[in-house]
Amino acid sequence: MWNEIKGLFGARRASREEAKGRLHLVLAHDRAGLDGSRLQDLRGEIAAVIARYVEIDPESVELDVERVSRDDTHLRVSSPLRAR
Amino acid sequence: MGRAIVITSGKGGVGKTTTAANLGASLAQRGHSVVLVDADIGLRNLDVVMGLENRIVYHLVDIVRGRCTAQKALIRDRRIDNLYLLPSSQSDEKESVSPDEMRDLVRALKGAYDYVLIDCPAGIEQGFRNAVAGADEAIVVATPEVSSIRDADRVVGLLAAEDIPTRLICNRISAEMVKRGDMLSQDDVIEILSLELLGAVPLDDAIVSSTNKGMPATLAGARSAAARAYENIASRVTGEIDDVAVAQGIGFFARIGRALGLSPA
Ligand SMILES: Nc1ncnc2c1ncn2[C@@H]1O[C@H](COP(=O)(O)OP(=O)(O)OP(=O)(O)O)[C@@H](O)[C@H]1O
Ligand SMILES: [Mg+2]
Repeated sequence: MWNEIKGLFGARRASREEAKGRLHLVLAHDRAGLDGSRLQDLRGEIAAVIARYVEIDPESVELDVERVSRDDTHLRVSSPLRAR
Repeated sequence: MGRAIVITSGKGGVGKTTTAANLGASLAQRGHSVVLVDADIGLRNLDVVMGLENRIVYHLVDIVRGRCTAQKALIRDRRIDNLYLLPSSQSDEKESVSPDEMRDLVRALKGAYDYVLIDCPAGIEQGFRNAVAGADEAIVVATPEVSSIRDADRVVGLLAAEDIPTRLICNRISAEMVKRGDMLSQDDVIEILSLELLGAVPLDDAIVSSTNKGMPATLAGARSAAARAYENIASRVTGEIDDVAVAQGIGFFARIGRALGLSPA
């Protein structure tokens, strides 16, 4: 019972937080002008460049567009390296 | 020389026309001369929100096409001194006016009035470009919703590219829902859009009923929460006051709850 009540309140609180999280993500992509297919293309090309220098699994390369503030949007590339 | 302020949003239906009507009436009440320009060509609305729809003879496109003088098209609001409406055309296309023609028109109006408030249509195409063409400043209206804020962000970028200083009005805030965590707060919206806040307007039934009557809430006798918010915004626009009042109109039950210690203050 108590958990149900807490769950209710938790779900409630989440709606505002969820909106904030979704907005940050959407605006980051809008501002960078990177929609789905362009982002995929970029990811593929970056993976190919990295693979020329080090051994990686091209599928594991991840791109994140993150909006730090209005004028400050970051593109983060992460790529696990294969152990030699 | 007056100030031309465009009221815009990207997304439709968030309160641009409501803001133009109420802010305009409130500025006129403060003794400034104001002309409200309906830049929504083909979908005019400001006339009905102002309750002046029966008095339209000429409109914006008539002036631009040289079919009449600006003086002839302007409708004087008889309820208050110094308030005028320049209605839009209901039968022309957005493309029938160019940004350069709008710029000339707005400049001429600025020569005769203290404030030229331009009610922008939704969207970011030609209608938007026309509406911002002659503007010295912009007010972006956003409601605390993902889609509205996303579109507002887009518009803020376009206004920044034109070097138009821009401030924010947060409309339709429900203090009760914010409290419950079910609505973005005005601070969330400010933080996300990184804009200076001009004011927050509560979600208020008085807006709906005053729109029904064609009487801006700021002209109606009874002081509704929304009217007070718009009056506060008007004082900020004129520079009379510097601080922003938070959205008023906390729900009755929230107040009772707080008084009884049921919810945190
Ligand atoms: N603070 C408020 N409280 C309650 N209702 C509101 C509020 N602000 C606006 N509304 C209502 O929301 C609706 C849309 O408002 P309005 O016409 O001003 O939006 P708009 O941005 O001009 O729309 P459009 O993009 O179609 O021109 C209207 O019915 C209006 O009465
Ligand atoms: Mg409108």
